[in-house]
Amino acid sequence: MHAEAAIREPLILGHKTYHDITNDIVGPIENKAPRGWYVLITIAGLIALYGVGCIMYLLSKGIGTWGLNKTVDWAWDITNFVWWVGIGHAGTLISAVLLLFRQKWRMAVNRSAEAMTIFAVIMAGTFPLIHMGRLWVGYWVFPLPNQYGSLWTNFNSPLLWDVFAISTYFSVSLVFWYIGLIPDFATIRDKVTKPGMKKFYSVLSFGWSGNAKAWTRFEEVSLVLAGVATPLVFSVHSVVSFDFATSVIPGWHTTIFPPYFVSGAVFSGFAMVQTLLLVMRKVMKLENYITVKHVEYMNIVIIVTGSIVGVAYITELFISWYSGVEYESYAFINRATGPYWWSYWAMMTCNVISPQVFWFRKLRRNLAFTFFMSIIVNIGMWFERFVIIVTSLHRDYLPSSWNMFHPTWMDVGTFLGTIGIFFTLYLLFARYFPVLALNEVKSILKVSGESYKKEAAKHHHH
Amino acid sequence: MSSTKRYWKDLGELHQQPEAIKGRENEFPQDLAIDQVLGNSSLTGASTGRRDFLKFLGFGIGAATLAACETPVIKSIPYVTKPEDITPGVANWYASTFYDGEDFASILVKTREGRPIHIKGNPRFGINRNPALAKGSINARMNSSVLSLYDGARLTGPVAKGSETATTWADADKSIAAGIAAAAGKRMVILSNTVISPSTQAAIAAFKAKNPTAEHVQYDVISYSGVTNANLKSFGKRVFPSYDFTKADVVVSVDADFLSNWGSTSENTWQYASRRNPDLAMNRHFQFEARMSMTGANADVRVPLKISELPKAVVALHAHVSGNSAGADAAMMKATEGAAKALMASKGRSVVVSGSNNEGVQVLVNSINSILGNYGSTIDLDTHTHFKQGDDAAVAQLVKDMNAGSVGALFIAGVNPAYSLPNAAAFKSGLAKVGLSVSFSGYADETASLCSWICPDNHYLESWNDFHPKVGQYALAQPAIRPLFNTRQWQESLLVWSGSTSNYYEHIRSVWQANMANRGPEMGLFEDNWNTAVHNGVLTAPVTPAALPAVFAGDVAAASVAAAKASSGAGEFELALYTTEAIGSGQHANNPWLQEMPDPLTKITWDNYVCMAPADVEKLGLNMYLGEQAPASLVTVKAGNNEITLPVVPTPGQRAGTIAIALGYGRGENGEKVGKAACVTDHNGDFKPVGKNAYPFTTSADGGVNYDVLNVTVTSAGGTYPVAITQTHLTAMDRHSVVKETSVATYKAGDKAAYNHPHTLGVHEDVNGDGVINTQDRKPVAEFDLWQEHPVEGVGHRWGLSIDLNGCIGCGACITACNSENNIAVVGKDEVRRSREMHWLRIDRYYSSATTKESAKKDGLGKIDMYLKMEVPEESPTVMFMPVMCQHCNHAPCETVCPVAATTHSNEGLNQMAYNRCIGTRYCANNCPYKVRRFNWFNYVSEKFGEVNPAWDDLGRMVLNPDVVVRGRGVIEKCSMCVQSIQAGKLAAKKAGTPVKDGSIETACSAACGTGAIVFGDLNDKKSKVRGLADSDRSYHMLEEIGVKPNVNYLVKVRNTEEAAAHHA
Repeated sequence: MHAEAAIREPLILGHKTYHDITNDIVGPIENKAPRGWYVLITIAGLIALYGVGCIMYLLSKGIGTWGLNKTVDWAWDITNFVWWVGIGHAGTLISAVLLLFRQKWRMAVNRSAEAMTIFAVIMAGTFPLIHMGRLWVGYWVFPLPNQYGSLWTNFNSPLLWDVFAISTYFSVSLVFWYIGLIPDFATIRDKVTKPGMKKFYSVLSFGWSGNAKAWTRFEEVSLVLAGVATPLVFSVHSVVSFDFATSVIPGWHTTIFPPYFVSGAVFSGFAMVQTLLLVMRKVMKLENYITVKHVEYMNIVIIVTGSIVGVAYITELFISWYSGVEYESYAFINRATGPYWWSYWAMMTCNVISPQVFWFRKLRRNLAFTFFMSIIVNIGMWFERFVIIVTSLHRDYLPSSWNMFHPTWMDVGTFLGTIGIFFTLYLLFARYFPVLALNEVKSILKVSGESYKKEAAKHHHH
Repeated sequence: MSSTKRYWKDLGELHQQPEAIKGRENEFPQDLAIDQVLGNSSLTGASTGRRDFLKFLGFGIGAATLAACETPVIKSIPYVTKPEDITPGVANWYASTFYDGEDFASILVKTREGRPIHIKGNPRFGINRNPALAKGSINARMNSSVLSLYDGARLTGPVAKGSETATTWADADKSIAAGIAAAAGKRMVILSNTVISPSTQAAIAAFKAKNPTAEHVQYDVISYSGVTNANLKSFGKRVFPSYDFTKADVVVSVDADFLSNWGSTSENTWQYASRRNPDLAMNRHFQFEARMSMTGANADVRVPLKISELPKAVVALHAHVSGNSAGADAAMMKATEGAAKALMASKGRSVVVSGSNNEGVQVLVNSINSILGNYGSTIDLDTHTHFKQGDDAAVAQLVKDMNAGSVGALFIAGVNPAYSLPNAAAFKSGLAKVGLSVSFSGYADETASLCSWICPDNHYLESWNDFHPKVGQYALAQPAIRPLFNTRQWQESLLVWSGSTSNYYEHIRSVWQANMANRGPEMGLFEDNWNTAVHNGVLTAPVTPAALPAVFAGDVAAASVAAAKASSGAGEFELALYTTEAIGSGQHANNPWLQEMPDPLTKITWDNYVCMAPADVEKLGLNMYLGEQAPASLVTVKAGNNEITLPVVPTPGQRAGTIAIALGYGRGENGEKVGKAACVTDHNGDFKPVGKNAYPFTTSADGGVNYDVLNVTVTSAGGTYPVAITQTHLTAMDRHSVVKETSVATYKAGDKAAYNHPHTLGVHEDVNGDGVINTQDRKPVAEFDLWQEHPVEGVGHRWGLSIDLNGCIGCGACITACNSENNIAVVGKDEVRRSREMHWLRIDRYYSSATTKESAKKDGLGKIDMYLKMEVPEESPTVMFMPVMCQHCNHAPCETVCPVAATTHSNEGLNQMAYNRCIGTRYCANNCPYKVRRFNWFNYVSEKFGEVNPAWDDLGRMVLNPDVVVRGRGVIEKCSMCVQSIQAGKLAAKKAGTPVKDGSIETACSAACGTGAIVFGDLNDKKSKVRGLADSDRSYHMLEEIGVKPNVNYLVKVRNTEEAAAHHA
């Protein structure tokens, strides 16, 4: 067990025992859900159903129900895709990268952040599927053996790389998340009394016995998976950025994209984690585990990545001027001053200017303000993708093809729908799954728990 | 402790009865034990082993599954007796003739398995043939006319008024014969468009012989009586002359849209274009006009004038040329000075044309041409045309007589006066007073639906006919298909009612036989001559030229007075009524291909509108920018009792203070069934005519129809109206690697870099050999490759197109030809408004802007301001037309990004699209720098689009080209460079055992381009025409610097402008 500096803020507040932790986390699963949960899931479920309806309508009528046209062939669909993938970055970053860096504060947030990742990646994956003109032959993107002789996928296409990147990321994240869940499921299994629930959690816990050997293996597997997942955190969004970076379209054809996209993804991911956790800690009374310190840590990540994104925006502008390429130069002038200027400035305000307020300690420890900012950042990051995709496409090389994109109610419906599905899944998760990695949290109780720290300080004093 | 209790099942067992014991044994028979069965040695030797069993099982399941599926029944019925000429899969081409009363052209009709599916100009014969290119020039209305053959609204037989269903010809003939008998003694009039068919004239003569009170009145929907009457006064011949633009070094047009809709356009276009090649002697073209016409867009010098100033401009030109400037307007004298100077310098090698229908103006034009000595050279009155014989005065008299009740019978052929007459209301009321009215229209249109009988004429592709377009020129039309319906040619109807027993085909033959001596040089068997004429579609007879050129004998003074009168009375706004390239006078308004063809200038489809100068639009506070969600403002235009409410479209180049409205729209206003696409469901869900009828604004004046209204009021009607535009941006943003243009002087100076600057990149090697590596060391971008080069250069074929920006006049015939050849879906107004038209080929139109990069630098303009100003065209802009199709890049950006390799490169340089493989990610369309890829947003062959898309109904489907697949929902499509024609051409060459001959394969667009602007061929054939053009100094690749290496190249536009020439001198 590590000895921790006394001046570090405790990560677990209040006088918690191991038993308290178990009760705090498993309690909500055992007991009846609060009324708020039912209200929330009804709203989320209705929006989700509406979204499913929109998707069904889209699939039955055709992509034309969206507002796309001959010039702007991607708009909200791929904007939403990149946005969701970006959001999906925080979970793995927290659980894998911070694990490798031995950041203990991650333990309180990694579970729900990972769940968010998985649901966000599912939402992200929806868009490349439904944006296809012919979804029913969408499986052709996999290099499957077929009856057409040597007909193979095109390994040059960044879209194909996307298929591999997203599916790998999703599977690794899912496995990592699930492995982490096993001991906690076992704890629930051991605690609950209703036979149905006992059966349910005993199946989910894969017969976890909790002996020392199992724990050793668990630690080893976690470390290995963290090692596997860490490069994925950086590769996924790099690959997504290749969709744009390898193209010939001014505004897309930019070498800065991979790092810019990854930092943007972490930026938006942490913002979404804040949005979810700030509500959850309140509703599920987890204030002692997810503390202001946690929120502050995440706000620091937000300001760092937000600033990286800001530097990237300014670099883009500089390069467009410095390159001397008229199309490139026009693309960026058009972003800032053309018909979609409002989206560019929405992006700039939300992503670059507003996170700078987190330089003030008071603000980054203010929960209500953090919640507000997390929404702002996610709006900004949605606009970033919209700016990149739509404003680059709508005026590219030939002025004869310049055009505007106008969303239809279907564009709005499918996007809102995925938000609904996402929250439905997340609410189900919060109800039935342990929202904190309770066994991991227990491991730091003795070093980072408030009461133990105080006690240790007292002993030390004597 | 053990139990000794016994248990038994029944009493039989308890008492050990033998029957019971036996029965128990049978209950579970031991002799049928499974090991016994399997151990049976006879079984191991049986032919049905385990493997066979599994095979049978598999087969059984398979067979049962298959039997459960319904086998699709494909009705493919072979010919029992194969027609001699029809080989399934091989097209037959028949020479024929298009004539709709307005335009004339010799054509070839492509038929597949007996169905006409495509039309192109006759490359070997006819007045519309460009001999230098061996190509027939036709416009979009002509090549689209094949579609109207399959219009579901066509009448299927003779219909009596008030009847819903068609009856038999016998009934109709009986009733009409009675009607004719009843009308005896009264005026009996055959009202038709200009008849240029000798056999039709003979049929009319036969009818007249039978009915002595019968007479023939000709009515041109778009009147040229001003021209023909002026010729009568000037030269004693009421004719429309032949123009020869090939001989004109200087062309001055005062409001004559001669490339689009004035005179014999199928001749004008190729003749004019043949003089636009800067390597030969290029003509100089001056255009004076109020609205920006397609012809004006091609002019070297375009002077925007008010409509009321145009007659004054003619007076001024006359003053310049004649040297007598009495009465000429000083401002106009100045405006026409340049044109006059050029004319005077090219006496006998120039031509002045005017679009005015004012007799006085035309007399002055005749006088100018006469002074310049153009008669006998560029204008021919001897071998004049037979077009435009309409007599407005006679039509006006007829309407009067009808209302007076003195007309007993009226036969209407080829015209729709209830729709198009200035006094249509009077015509309609008169028609009610006519005892027998018979329309020969194929549709129950505005006029026909009011007639007592409709005796539907065949479509022209189902008809025999002959034509005499010009002195010495004859043409034949032969049917390419048997009549689809129970229709009858109107000439035959006349013959029947005249008591003749021969059908029209026999009639034509007998007319030709009787006049053979006058026709054709070969004296021989009539049958041979006839067959040759049918085969060629054309017969040319020798003409003895007149000994002396025509002498002008017009009254200039009187003409000047008339011209001055045409200038007077101008109000705040002056209105010009014009006809568009797509719809013309309105008789083709029911053609979906034409409705969806963008206007050459405004790029608007599916509507007519008020063209207004942007300055006036701003002044009236109306919507300046139009687009998907930016509808046009509605205005009400009023002149006298007439008013019309239409959307306003800002049109750069339109003279401030003038507006223009297209005629030919608003067909079927009263619910008449005028055909597919003339009426559609609009954005409010109402089934309404496309556009509005502007004919009521035309006026009858001085025995002619006047298309200019000099005093109209324009007021905002409030509200907006969505318009469907295919190109919403106006200027080229000074992007020199997109469009390049120069002046003749710069071009002739020979420095290629001055007008076709090559794109180069700096390299770190000493390219110029000066011993230092610096910015001067550059290599052309063509030498850089990011990828491995496709091995196409010098290996096999490499198909390519060369597009001459000087040759393209913007007419759009290539667009409709492409529609027809490649089964391109018509998507309707709402989809076009959403920028989803499916055209594989488009013509980009760019207006010049006053702001350029150079001027911005000079004016110290910031970048942001510069780009904003570049978006605005100048007040009187020059125009560029640029046909753009898939550029078939050798480093195609679309190919690398497709995840499933649905678009790939052929080893012949083609960028191919495998629809079946496409999953519809649209990444290719995004990554296309030329934005030529089109996506099937919906299933366009479905009921939703059935109103407009001909591929939906069974009849319209007959126009589809069986060689090209009809694309379904969710796939990308784009120009294939007519790969089906390439394959067919290669096969033909292979069969003949020869290499593919240059020119033997044509794409639909290149074949349709009568001006020769689009040339197709093999770039690897060093002697091919396309290779020669690709290697020429004017050749460039669009967006060369991005290195996609297209197989389509463009030739720099060269304008014959004086200013630029002076600048460089």
